Amino acid sequence: MAEIEFRNVSKSFGTYNVIEHLDVTIPDGSFTVLVGPSGCGKTTLLRMIAGIGPQSDGQILIDGKDMTNVAPGQRDVAMVFQNYAIYPTMSVYGNIEFGLKNNKVPKEERKKRIREVAEKVGLTDYLDRSPSTLSGGQRQRVALARAMSKNPKVFLMDEPLSNLDAKLRSAMRVELIELHRKLKTTFVYVTHDQVEAMSMADTIILMDHGEIQQIGSPEEIYRNPANLFVAQFIGSPAMNIVKKEDCTIGFRPEAVCLTKEPTSAALSMQGTISTREMLGRETNYSIRDAQGNTYMVTSPTDDWRPQQQVYLNVEHASLYVFGKDGKRLPEMEGATV
Amino acid sequence: MEQQTSKTAKILFGMIDLVIVFIFLFPFLWMLSVSLQTEQEITTIPLTLIPKVPQWKNYVEAFASAPFLLYLRNSVLVILGVVVIQLLVMVPAAYTFAKMQFAGKNLCFGLVMIAFMTPAQLTFYPIYHMMSKAGLMNTLWPQILPFMTNAFGIFLLRQYFMQIPDELLESARLDNAGALKVMGKIMLPMSKPALTSVVLFSFVGHWNDYFWPLIITSSTQVRPLTIGVAMLKNTEGAASWHYIMAGNVMLILPVLILYLFFSKYIVSSFTYSGIK
Amino acid sequence: MKKVYPYLFIFPAMTGIVVFVLYPMVKLITQSFYKVNPMNEANSKFIGIENYTKMFQTAAFKKALVNTGYYALFSVILIMVIALVLAVWLSGKQDRFHSFIQGSVFLPHVISMVSIGLIFQQMMDPDFGIFNQVLTALHLPACTWLRSSSTAVGSIIFTNVWKSVGYYTLILLAAIQGIPTSIYEAASLDNAGKLCTFFRITLPMISPQIFFTLIVLTIGSFKIFDMIFIMTGGGPNNASTSLVFYIYSKVFQEFDIGKAAAAGVVLMVLVGIMTVFYFVGLSKKVHYQ
Repeated sequence: MAEIEFRNVSKSFGTYNVIEHLDVTIPDGSFTVLVGPSGCGKTTLLRMIAGIGPQSDGQILIDGKDMTNVAPGQRDVAMVFQNYAIYPTMSVYGNIEFGLKNNKVPKEERKKRIREVAEKVGLTDYLDRSPSTLSGGQRQRVALARAMSKNPKVFLMDEPLSNLDAKLRSAMRVELIELHRKLKTTFVYVTHDQVEAMSMADTIILMDHGEIQQIGSPEEIYRNPANLFVAQFIGSPAMNIVKKEDCTIGFRPEAVCLTKEPTSAALSMQGTISTREMLGRETNYSIRDAQGNTYMVTSPTDDWRPQQQVYLNVEHASLYVFGKDGKRLPEMEGATV
Repeated sequence: MEQQTSKTAKILFGMIDLVIVFIFLFPFLWMLSVSLQTEQEITTIPLTLIPKVPQWKNYVEAFASAPFLLYLRNSVLVILGVVVIQLLVMVPAAYTFAKMQFAGKNLCFGLVMIAFMTPAQLTFYPIYHMMSKAGLMNTLWPQILPFMTNAFGIFLLRQYFMQIPDELLESARLDNAGALKVMGKIMLPMSKPALTSVVLFSFVGHWNDYFWPLIITSSTQVRPLTIGVAMLKNTEGAASWHYIMAGNVMLILPVLILYLFFSKYIVSSFTYSGIK
Repeated sequence: MKKVYPYLFIFPAMTGIVVFVLYPMVKLITQSFYKVNPMNEANSKFIGIENYTKMFQTAAFKKALVNTGYYALFSVILIMVIALVLAVWLSGKQDRFHSFIQGSVFLPHVISMVSIGLIFQQMMDPDFGIFNQVLTALHLPACTWLRSSSTAVGSIIFTNVWKSVGYYTLILLAAIQGIPTSIYEAASLDNAGKLCTFFRITLPMISPQIFFTLIVLTIGSFKIFDMIFIMTGGGPNNASTSLVFYIYSKVFQEFDIGKAAAAGVVLMVLVGIMTVFYFVGLSKKVHYQ
């Protein structure tokens, strides 16, 4: 178990600065998800923790110890790669054993640990198989078993589920959450998928352009976004935006109440339903106003039809106001809409 | 594209195929035939296609006419030496060029490419001079040392290594494996086809080589098989083609056997050496 | 410490290149300006470009240069055309018999020049060779082959084409088979004939490989030696000599190291020009993709 601390960390590739003067602490025992659009620096952060893409400047501390001069293999971290990075010429057993052997774990102990992790991830019958004969899900388990066998202080995962099909992905999500609960180790998980972040994390670190936009629990980030970027990145369909002269107003699709006639809600505007997606439990409408702006609305009912004229109504409490720089403004000013 | 080809066209196509095969295989069959004929048969018109009584003794006599066992030993030792040294030199270099960043990398790789394109026909005299000055002319080293850096091998292995995903090497580093272990336990086992190609390419090239041993060897003691077989022509009289061809069969046989078993690797290594 | 690793790993390879490629090349260039004393190099005399001027005046060198041009030109044209025809013929068929044909066509390439030179020399014997017997049987005039100065070069080119054509066939064949079949299907839907398909689709699609084949083939032809040495010894009457043959005889028969070096520099320039073409083409090719 360990806390990870970034102290004034910078990273550049040649003359291109990916991350500048970053300070952040990942709490001990947390399931922290680094999320953001591609190229935001989240994988760079993960690779710095592992030591396979060391920082250009600053310090990274694991468990209070400076890792700058510690080789990746000696940091007591384990990593699961996006493409699993299974050694193709070794058996499943050999794959798990390789790291243990290099770390001079005695043979009997190795055997015991491999049996244990194989049991946990359900690979016991596959230990002698060659990786090329395994399915995607099984390879993913090998990668996981390999990481677990090392009893690391920190688990690092770089989009480990992105190569799986949708069904397997949601099953593995649950398994990872359970694994974390059992091991109580620090998990650092990188993804570009906000749904994955919301469903798994206890702490989300949302990044964009090498900068941290917000750190918080999924609830906090969803209900209380620090800026326009966070507000639009988290949530599906994304938050709707109305541009005003001096500010931007946002509201979530599910906060809208659709009516035939205008109401006295804080925000009430007219539009035409352009498309309707019936999803069963709920229905998504896209609505176009007279200026040609499109808004997404999620409604529990499916009464409306395309081409119908409707009014979108949002209560004051559900409105978010952002300044010109994108920063969230105090609630008060939202009343003037 | 799929058309109904008539029966006659099919037969015609098949015959053209057979003619192609005949053109490329006949000289070898002819060599075999001559190697089993008598001197009488070789010099009588019309020529004999299939010898009446195969003269196996031609092989015995050709073999006895010169120290062929010694030549064979030299060929084998030279090739072993070349292959072993080349592998030791080539693998770390290819790994470095494929997966490491360092100042001067492009310059160094440019030198490798220059070495790749430089023919031995340009460099032989200075090397000859160097070797005789070093007093190595009565050893096999002048046939081994100049080939220590196999530029083509470095190039081919580098291409192969570059295809190995970086994540695999990073994963190995997280598994606490050093550079040598990464090379030995991960890169090499994954590169068996490329290594086989390179080794076979070296083997065939040096087994067949004539120019280099011709200019660099001056005593029987160090000559390889190619020189030995070519010298059969000078030592025997004009009409001794049956001996020469018997010697020739001995020279071709090992490569032919290798080609039968590894033709896929040999063809791919040779084709690779030409393009890319 | 980690920073030293790359240099440590390439050190043996670079040593080999410096000692056995770079140093000899520099040496070659310097020696071409000296009258070299092979017994004692310290006694060599700087003579400027005299080696070159004198060499270019001798008939032997001119003959060697012209012959090398002949070998290169005719080998390249013949091999290219035959290899293209064979590659097209063999493409599109992929059963065991056809891999046997490919194996046969390629076989001469893995056999030594010595073996093939000897076999063809025997078959080309004007009196007891099978070639002349076949010609006679077909009521064609017999040929002098390697025995006469007028046919020796042609005979060597003939042998060279036979030995090398399979190699280039397989390179072009691989290129042709690499063309996606959907393009041919599209062409047939556009009602393109066989010849039209070949000239408008196949040929342009494999033009990079044709280009590289041309370069590699030309460089190879510049270096022709083994076959000549074995089949004719440069004769009759110096008729089949080549640049490398000239260099060889200057070194080992006349001990004229300076002139040999000068001829070597000429060869180096020729190979160098083709190599530049090769890499310019390579960078362009990379650019396409």
